[in-house]
Amino acid sequence: MTRFLSSAAACAVAGGLAVGISTVAAHHSTTMFDHSKTLTVTGSVVELRWVNPHVSLAVDGTIKEKPDIGKAVWLMEMTSPGNLVRAGGWRRDAVKPGEQVEVVFSPLRDEEKKGGALKKLTVLATGEVFTANIREQEKPGLE
Amino acid sequence: MKIRSTALVISVLTFSAISISSAEGPKKAPAVINPPPTAQDWADLAKLPDWSGVWNPNISDQDKQVKTNPPPWNEQTARKIEQMFAEEKAGRPRLIFANCLPEAHPSWMLVTHNAMEILFTPGRVTLLGESDGNRLRRIYTDGRGHPDVSDPTFHGHSIGHWDGDTLVVDTVDILPQAPLAVSEAAGVPNNGDMRVVERIRLADKDVLHVDLEITAPKILTRPWKTTRVFFRQRARKFDIVEGVCAQGDLSERVDANGDHIFVPVKKTEWGNIEVSK
Repeated sequence: MTRFLSSAAACAVAGGLAVGISTVAAHHSTTMFDHSKTLTVTGSVVELRWVNPHVSLAVDGTIKEKPDIGKAVWLMEMTSPGNLVRAGGWRRDAVKPGEQVEVVFSPLRDEEKKGGALKKLTVLATGEVFTANIREQEKPGLE
Repeated sequence: MKIRSTALVISVLTFSAISISSAEGPKKAPAVINPPPTAQDWADLAKLPDWSGVWNPNISDQDKQVKTNPPPWNEQTARKIEQMFAEEKAGRPRLIFANCLPEAHPSWMLVTHNAMEILFTPGRVTLLGESDGNRLRRIYTDGRGHPDVSDPTFHGHSIGHWDGDTLVVDTVDILPQAPLAVSEAAGVPNNGDMRVVERIRLADKDVLHVDLEITAPKILTRPWKTTRVFFRQRARKFDIVEGVCAQGDLSERVDANGDHIFVPVKKTEWGNIEVSK
């Protein structure tokens, strides 16, 4: 899977994140995102990091609501793999690099930064939908 | 700043003095006998209630209790908590659970967003968490008391006994750095001498209640009671999965030699992944 990452995209996701403090972090609050808004990015998957405590998905695409931004890599975070499997129907291989997807997310409050909290992922080729609401696990009869 | 460093020097010197005096008359920790379990010990486990399966926390109830059941913070602590709530609301949530350390006891029970499982073995009840690294509680049910020698840990020293189908647990000797957290962005170190008593029982077929009574004289004006709710999905479709906290700070790559390696990603001061502009 990692071989499919183009070097440019890989830099943008891992190495090019030059600003910021490296602190090994467990769970954190999500108020750095504006949960009252959503944006939609349509494009190709760069990388799904299927990791604890927070899975992240990078998509190289354009924003429906802000077409003037142009093509760029957007980085969305969500909850842990276990929660995503139970509440959102995810699998580690839910998406692969290069696949065309549409992602609805709540953007970071810092609107200059291209990131957010993932709400819904749709795989365009199959129509498969994945959500990321941890409180969905509380639905009765989940199984 | 000058006052704080003087206080620090005094506390270091005091600690050194205490260490020296106790080194002169060392106390031996009494030997704890851990006999191999008998067939009867294993058979007796079958009489315990069924706590098997994947237990998920009721996060909505956690959210509710932030408003409906706040701890009785002392004045100084209440101000700190207020400030943390304000910062969180402003979009700058404090990262309480840094360094991938355990949420510790009792904050794991209070604010976890991840599942856990409960294992019964002779003389012990063991709780294992799914995420956030190192979430492991060992509750000794073999009749032992707390040790005489203090050796504080993240989850403390827990002893328990069964009162019918309720497990009653007493925990002491928790590290003073372990936070008492009411949310992922609001919590303070317990600062020592914290004691937690729990009554854990099935409230319904697939609902577990953990009734906690937390005594923390350095930060609370009186003991705080709260019930935390866990639920399981009975069709057993899901398993607990591995969760290595530090993996969240790494990306999988293949280097020039073809070796599969991890490379670090950057995080912000609030714990979320850093993104470019």
